Amino acid sequence: MNILQLLEGLTLRRILWVTAICAVASGAASWIFVNTYFDLLLTALPVGYTSMLLFTAASNVRQASMPREAMQILAIVAGSILGTILAGLLKGRDITQMFHERLAGVTISMGLGIGFGCVVVATIMLREKYARDQARILRAESERHQLEKGMLEARLQLMQAQVEPHFLFNTLANVQHLVETDPQAAARMLDSLIRYLRAAVPQMREAHSTLGREVEMARAFLEIQQVRMGARLAFRIDVPEPLRARDFPPMMLISLVENAIKHGVDPCCECGTVVIRAEEQEGRLRVCVADTGEGVKPKEGGGLGLANIRERLKTLYGGAAALVLEENAPHGVTAAIEVPAAA
Amino acid sequence: MSATGVIADDEPLLRAQLRSRLARLWPDLTVVQEMENGRDVEEVLQRHGPSVFFLDVHMPGVNGLEAARRIAGRAHVVFVTAYDEYAVEAFERGAVDYVLKPFTEERLALAIQRLRERLQAAPAHLEELVQTLAARLAPAPAAQHLRWIKASVGPNVRLIPVEEVIFFQSDDKYTRVVTCDGEALIRKPIRELLDELDPERFWQVHRATIVNVDRIASVRRGLKDQAEIALRDRPETLVVSRAFTHRFRQM
Repeated sequence: MNILQLLEGLTLRRILWVTAICAVASGAASWIFVNTYFDLLLTALPVGYTSMLLFTAASNVRQASMPREAMQILAIVAGSILGTILAGLLKGRDITQMFHERLAGVTISMGLGIGFGCVVVATIMLREKYARDQARILRAESERHQLEKGMLEARLQLMQAQVEPHFLFNTLANVQHLVETDPQAAARMLDSLIRYLRAAVPQMREAHSTLGREVEMARAFLEIQQVRMGARLAFRIDVPEPLRARDFPPMMLISLVENAIKHGVDPCCECGTVVIRAEEQEGRLRVCVADTGEGVKPKEGGGLGLANIRERLKTLYGGAAALVLEENAPHGVTAAIEVPAAA
Repeated sequence: MSATGVIADDEPLLRAQLRSRLARLWPDLTVVQEMENGRDVEEVLQRHGPSVFFLDVHMPGVNGLEAARRIAGRAHVVFVTAYDEYAVEAFERGAVDYVLKPFTEERLALAIQRLRERLQAAPAHLEELVQTLAARLAPAPAAQHLRWIKASVGPNVRLIPVEEVIFFQSDDKYTRVVTCDGEALIRKPIRELLDELDPERFWQVHRATIVNVDRIASVRRGLKDQAEIALRDRPETLVVSRAFTHRFRQM
């Protein structure tokens, strides 16, 4: 550690302050003592400057053996003693003489130096503490804002239209054809579409949902996709009846199912299977969507959907819920949402 | 005048629909081939030399745009697409015809009429249009950075989006991947990770540590010339060694 680093914080402002304090203190002292103002100032300045230098250095030495505050006080005391001696030397006095004949004067200037120094140190410490408290308050404030923002965003995401025009129009094109060739199949597909839209159109959506309702929406979506993709898509839903009545956040399961089709089954030209499973284990409700598709590519993102789900889970459950993604063997992805199982 | 055509769409019902509509509206057209995507376009061109391709834009594998590029002016092309505002806007300014799904008979009839008029002329080269479209539909892939961390957790391979990672720390032979709800070990060393991660988001702060800048709560000066990082959602503090403190100055 070099000298410059030791003196970091020794600003012109600090020097001017110390000079001013010394000047004022000498002025005040000249009312009490017989010494001239100039003589007092010549004592005060060395005391002030030495203390200032040692104080600055003590503030910059970083080590663990002694608290910084103690080091600073020690620096003030040492600075005052050294400063007083220095002042004596400046006035051409002999050190032994100083400590014998002029002991009273020397003690007074040391005492004053130490007294003023401590007041200054206390002020600085209080200011630092104030700044720290202020910073802590600001941080707490910003964290609260962050949380509020998160909640608002989560609500907004839920309100945004989830129905892709592309999906809607392609589905309608299928229905259009089926109406002519297989009216019964057309009716079934329209039925699925209506069930899906009821859940997916924001204005028709409710803030709370149950696992059963979310599963039915996913089923409607998968039925539509199955007509569209033909033999390329198979799906299975394995959700025990008793779990269907459980509360479950809306639009998360469908998001995972859409991902399984969009990033999993659809991009690979072979056929794929999507499985929705729910189970309760050790007080946790685990709902997962597994596909046998492409799997993730290390350098391609999963889009906003997963980040949104994570954000919403955090807002709704704090740290008690999780979204976990795992790779399937031999290929594909399992995405699982785990929430506390409130019966 | 008779013509030959090829239909490419990944949805079987939509291929059937287009085929039956074409049969009704353009009896002279023989559909010689149906395709699920554009993969075999070259082979189909060789074998049948069709005069017109009806291409769905979105298809897995080789999509409609790529197929049009491969056709490279050797046949006429009509794009068939479901609603897609970017695509439609580009088509409207381009030299190629398009039909929106679900389509009306009138619209398809109009496309057929235009095609018949154009059949005599040489097919337009679509290179430029296809490029514009491709850029609109699939915005240039962001810089190729690592997006997923694959970590073994018990018998399973956990997939962790990099945004979720708070920091990486090397630990003997392994690298710890720490997220807000836990941690995992991977074999990839810090050095390799540094090359693959987005340098804007992931900063090396120590020989053994990479931190996700988004997850930093605060940075304060620590012992010697180092700094200490406090994290959001994690109790640990990370040491910034002297060589890396410059990144945190004056921020």
